[in-house]
Amino acid sequence: MISLARRITALNRGLFALAKWLIYAIVLLMLWEVLSRYVFSAPTSWAPELATLIFGPFFLLGGPYLLHLGGHVAVDVASAHATGRLAVLLKLAGLFLAAVFGAILLWFSVPLVMQSFSYGETSYSAWNPIVWPAKAFLPLSAILLILQAFADAITAIAEPENV
Amino acid sequence: MESSFVLLFMFTSLIAFMLSGAGLAFVLGAIAFISTILLWGPAALIVTVLNTFETMTSESLMAIPLYVLMASILQKSAIIDALYDAMEAWSARLNGGLAVGTIIICTILAAMTGVVGAAVAAMGILALPSMLSRGYHPPLALGAICAGGTLGILIPPSVVTIVYAITAQISIGQMFAAGIVPGLILAGSYIAYILIRTWLNPSLAPIPDDIEDLPLGEKLGKLKALILPAFVVFGVLGSIYTGIATPTEAAAVGVLGAAISALVTRRLSFEMLSGAATETLRVTAMILWITIGARAFISVFVATGGADSILGFVEGVEASRWVVLGVMVLVLIFLGLFLDEIGIILLCVPVFLPIIIALEFDPLWFGVLFMITAQMAYITPPFGYTLFYLKGVLPEGIGIGQVYRGVIPFFFIQVVVLIFFAIFPGVVTWLPEALSQVGK
Amino acid sequence: SGTAARAQGVTKWRMQALWGGGTTPMMYEEKFCARVAELTGGSLEITPFAGGQIVPSAQAFDAVRGGAFEMMKTYDGYTAGKIPAHGFSSTVPFGFPEADQYEAWFYERGGLDMVRESYAPAGLTYVAPTVYGEEPIHSRVPVRTIADFDGLKGRFVGLASAVMADFGVSVSPLPTSEVYSALDKGLIDVADRGDIKANYEEGLHEVAKYLILPGVHQPTTATSYVANTRAFETLDDQQKAALAVAAREISGSLRQDILVANGEYLKKFQDAGVEIIDLDPEDIAQARAKAVESWKKAATDELSTRMMESQVALMQELRLL
Ligand code: NA
Ligand code: NA
Repeated sequence: MISLARRITALNRGLFALAKWLIYAIVLLMLWEVLSRYVFSAPTSWAPELATLIFGPFFLLGGPYLLHLGGHVAVDVASAHATGRLAVLLKLAGLFLAAVFGAILLWFSVPLVMQSFSYGETSYSAWNPIVWPAKAFLPLSAILLILQAFADAITAIAEPENV
Repeated sequence: MESSFVLLFMFTSLIAFMLSGAGLAFVLGAIAFISTILLWGPAALIVTVLNTFETMTSESLMAIPLYVLMASILQKSAIIDALYDAMEAWSARLNGGLAVGTIIICTILAAMTGVVGAAVAAMGILALPSMLSRGYHPPLALGAICAGGTLGILIPPSVVTIVYAITAQISIGQMFAAGIVPGLILAGSYIAYILIRTWLNPSLAPIPDDIEDLPLGEKLGKLKALILPAFVVFGVLGSIYTGIATPTEAAAVGVLGAAISALVTRRLSFEMLSGAATETLRVTAMILWITIGARAFISVFVATGGADSILGFVEGVEASRWVVLGVMVLVLIFLGLFLDEIGIILLCVPVFLPIIIALEFDPLWFGVLFMITAQMAYITPPFGYTLFYLKGVLPEGIGIGQVYRGVIPFFFIQVVVLIFFAIFPGVVTWLPEALSQVGK
Repeated sequence: SGTAARAQGVTKWRMQALWGGGTTPMMYEEKFCARVAELTGGSLEITPFAGGQIVPSAQAFDAVRGGAFEMMKTYDGYTAGKIPAHGFSSTVPFGFPEADQYEAWFYERGGLDMVRESYAPAGLTYVAPTVYGEEPIHSRVPVRTIADFDGLKGRFVGLASAVMADFGVSVSPLPTSEVYSALDKGLIDVADRGDIKANYEEGLHEVAKYLILPGVHQPTTATSYVANTRAFETLDDQQKAALAVAAREISGSLRQDILVANGEYLKKFQDAGVEIIDLDPEDIAQARAKAVESWKKAATDELSTRMMESQVALMQELRLL
């Protein structure tokens, strides 16, 4: 079980490390747009929109590993003083909330992504790209969040002294 | 009747769940889900996903990672060190000079970056040891760093301002412009306070006898530290106000400016860019996941009548509009003790803004009042970001208690300034109005 | 729907509208709900929510489909990326110049049935449109002929962005809240935003010295009342009829309100030193013939083609083409 937990964490760490580079893609796209509009007086129809399509996957993929790092904003006034069983219990409660959150996002986003795929939904802008690939990152990140909550729960139970 | 129950239920469970120490994003989401199922019907849970799709493609929210990235690169590029060096040379022989200089540097950093962390962390590392080694009264030094660090919220660019503008549906550029004068007034008030306090009691900030004044030529030479910051400030604010770029694009211009600065100071490297990207994703994921949770919370709150019941209540009480405003500001300050600013905006602005408009107040001006309460939130325990940032760099023998004591006078300055702007809205609104008159 | 509680014979619905709270069109949505209550003797109570209060307006389609609320007032253009037909049931750039002509297409030329057909597979029932007139174009530079659009930087959305691009405009998709400052700073030369009154209230007279009429990108507009089909089927005939009647009343009364407000607010634009440019109808008619090519590109399936062709046929009868 512990090794499964480690593998899940490693997967999310890897995805985090990949996703973080997307910010530079966003920077370059925005700069390209400024340049083409201001210098060449010919704004692109695609650069800003492509940047917004990358933005969702960028921050969504950061969430699961952030859960492992304990990087989500939390009020730790009470939990910081908890020790032993209580600390483990509070930790598990927090992970449970994260997993429920992921589960609901997953349950309701899958049909919407499938629908977008089957309609061949486009953004209906001047560039008009298909949008389901960007939307698909929501259920994907939700699964990864649930897995990470599960992995951290296993670790918390197996190694309560580290909580 | 049913809707005031909703209000009570949602906010008491919010506080209870939050105290468990679970992530705010998930707490908000979980309460939203429970309330949706109980009060609205499970089918309505789809609303959370639909709001998230919108969040995922928001051009305006995309400014957040860009400003964070810019701050992160600047922090690693040693230009803050050079600034501090210059400031020390110029203010060494002034009463309270290092504390005043800290505020000035924080003001410059505030104009360069949109996030608070960069200024506080840098001043904690650079200014704190040098002030303490001079025998500065620790609370004064710590308070100046914390308060100065938060100036970045009001002085544009600012991530908190962006989130407010998006939530209130007003122009980001206008909201930025509204923050400039109040931000400078606030910085000026901090400086005035330090000068007066150290003039009355010079032992709070001693000037050692052996400090020698540098020759003027050398002092002037150190001013070249201002070149790169000026270049970055002009890149960001200049490109917004000359119409080259939208506020989001301007952030990308700022990233370029920061990278060029790092190139000039020979700090640009693959490791540096990688580290900056890691920090950026951490902060962005944190803010955006809260956004998802908060939007879920707000939708169910509105749909089940909670928002209407607040509006109805406000319209029902026969209080003057100033009393209502005062109560709203107090609520914001109170929430700021416990909650993250982005969370407060996402929760309160959709509820408060209709009231502000109904009372015929200016949303732009209210935004500035909001940003000042946000600055208070950043320096007040138990949940104050600047306190967390400083905790990591406190030297032996200085406890967090001294930080708490240090921020008290600055907190009161913020209160006074807040009341001042509430009474004189013209101070806030003239610059955005003047800027929109230019070019006609 | 699970939430449509029918306690003591009262059905309670939630409806998300398009508009911001406190705006004129939102007031008409409140009137719509009040009228439905009146016509049903209080047996159908609809609570209207302003746009974006629960979900972003562009996402309301899926929220009603999923049953989060029973009804919406939407703009079909939001879903034209999913359902190409919706490009033709919302606004057609260079399309019908008079709201009455467009409404006639809905009620007299089978438009209503075709739009119903477009919604039915999604589990949604199209009730009726609200049809009104143009939205203006604001410009920093004089645009006196359609040809003058060539080479300008502009802000347009939906089908208009593609069509205006075909007329040589470099289109940027800016959010509504940035239109004022984008015009102010010269980021763009021309922009559409909202109707004449709303744009005056936003202060566009301060930043764009020319107002171009008619707004050829959006000469006429239809917004739509759409219900969740399962919820709709639980209604009795009187309630269904009440929805249709109230919708048609609102269409006429909002249109007339806008018509009068347009005159009043155009005067205010002029008083603020804005030049109002009236494009030559002949010039527009020629451009319309060219725009048909853009429409054909947007009609990518059988239903949208059928809708486009029936609109073209009516325009020919009306001697618009
Ligand atoms: Na700032
Ligand atoms: Na606080």
